[in-house]
Amino acid sequence: MTEKAVTMIPEIELDRVSMQYPSAHSDVLALQEVSLNIAKGEFVALLGPSGCGKTTLLRIMADLIQPTSGGIKVAGKSAKEARLAQKYGIVFQNPVLYDWRKVRHNITLPLELMGVKKAGRYRKAEELLELVGLAKFADKYPWQLSGGMQQRVAIARALAMEPEILLMDEPFSALDEFTRERLNEELLSIWSKVGNTVVFVTHSIQEAVFLSDRVFILSPHPGRLSAVAEIPLPRPRTREMRNGEVFFRLIAQIRDRFEGV
Amino acid sequence: MNGFGNLLRLRFLPAAVWGLALLAIWEAGSWFLLKVLQVRMAQSKLPYIHEVVSAFGRYGSTLLKEGWVTLANAGLGLLLGATAGTLLAVLMSASQWMERLAFPYAVASQMVPILGLAPIVYGIVRDDQWARIIIAGYITFFPVALNMLRGLRSAHPSALELMRSYAAKPWSVYWKLRFPASLPGLFGGLKIAAPLAVTGAILVELMGARNGVGVIMLRNLYYGPSHVYMFWSTVVAGALLGVLSYLTMSVLERLAAPWQPEFRTKGGDR
Ligand SMILES: Nc1ncnc2c1ncn2[C@@H]1O[C@H](COP(=O)(O)OP(=O)(O)O)[C@@H](O)[C@H]1O
Ligand SMILES: [Mg+2]
Repeated sequence: MTEKAVTMIPEIELDRVSMQYPSAHSDVLALQEVSLNIAKGEFVALLGPSGCGKTTLLRIMADLIQPTSGGIKVAGKSAKEARLAQKYGIVFQNPVLYDWRKVRHNITLPLELMGVKKAGRYRKAEELLELVGLAKFADKYPWQLSGGMQQRVAIARALAMEPEILLMDEPFSALDEFTRERLNEELLSIWSKVGNTVVFVTHSIQEAVFLSDRVFILSPHPGRLSAVAEIPLPRPRTREMRNGEVFFRLIAQIRDRFEGV
Repeated sequence: MNGFGNLLRLRFLPAAVWGLALLAIWEAGSWFLLKVLQVRMAQSKLPYIHEVVSAFGRYGSTLLKEGWVTLANAGLGLLLGATAGTLLAVLMSASQWMERLAFPYAVASQMVPILGLAPIVYGIVRDDQWARIIIAGYITFFPVALNMLRGLRSAHPSALELMRSYAAKPWSVYWKLRFPASLPGLFGGLKIAAPLAVTGAILVELMGARNGVGVIMLRNLYYGPSHVYMFWSTVVAGALLGVLSYLTMSVLERLAAPWQPEFRTKGGDR
């Protein structure tokens, strides 16, 4: 364990969390006794093949569903309290933008819900549009944007309220390789400025390694936490690191873990 | 410029050609009945279009005046029916219990023949103005309620989850998500309801009122063959009112919900 793990203040603590979905034929055990801690300000990935319960785990953290058993604490309180205190920003697998709102107003939505004044909302939207490189598209409707641009709007929206915890569910999986890598870098630069806790779900080993401090490796049937990999790559992460020996070795190590399961 | 030219060619030209062809066939048929077959009251069955048009012209100011009365009453009825329908839809979307309670009655209400209901309503309110408004409202609330309910339910589950993740109040969920999402449904209902409201208002007028298109329609019918072109021009006026009411809803929809998929410019793959 690194020094970081020793001194960490836990932001999210899961204690033997299990999730069973009721079903007509046989109940699906989506998660079995998952325990993990995520530190404040940490960037972690949840990695695993599809169907291993990543989305389920993220939704439990977000208090969108309740686990069948086990405990979850967020900053020492329950997940529900954290949600009601508006600590979460979520980026779903699809952008989930509201069709009737222009890009700018999609981004200001959470601020409206928090009661931020109009001038403040617009200033924030301007700033975020600049950050995700969409300043010129503020007054377009979502359908006038490409898939990658829509996803960037969704990220800007999630960041608008400066959430303490950013939960992202395969946000870039629908995008092409080039866009995805560029957005990876953009996301890291945003995170380094905002400094929030990020839980990033992915099924791409490269993506998990490039982005995270630690990678939680999940295995399917039933979904379990099978290993945790520390990523010792220095920050800021650069494009060149993708071609480095360390990067490839880490990927190979993680891939080996999956061979075992 | 080019786009406009295309629109003209692709949409209006075929419509104009079809329209002219239909008119020609009509006129020919009318002439055939009158002159060749020499059918009794041939003009009552298939009058010369040009005579109807000229009656429409001569009769214009009356038609306009009475048409306006009908349209205004139908409009008020639509407003009443749409408001009731929208409220009912909101209640039903908010609670399953409410839906189970109200829905069967809403459906049953549509089974009552309007023809029988109109005199009853008139007997109760004893006012032709109000009878028209109430009947127009009565036949419009159902399509509005049904389509509005569907619209309110059309909010995507993940869009609702987003609201939940922000801990949005139920009021905000309606205001910022369910209502905007329901607009296409609401207007779908209104576009069905608006011509129905006109029909309803005319129906009440036919059964007895002091003014409106239906009243002059009935009067010309009584006067018999001598007023046949007048009669037909009132029928055309009634149809035009229906079309006008529909177009009004379409324009309102464009203004209120310009973001709908139907209104998007084509091109690209989405
Ligand atoms: N709402 C649900 N009802 C029933 N089963 C579900 C539901 N959501 C997910 N599952 C099942 O739980 C397992 C984990 O799903 P999920 O968390 O979506 O995995 P992942 O995101 O890793 O692909 C899968 O076997 C899936 O079929
Ligand atoms: Mg998933």
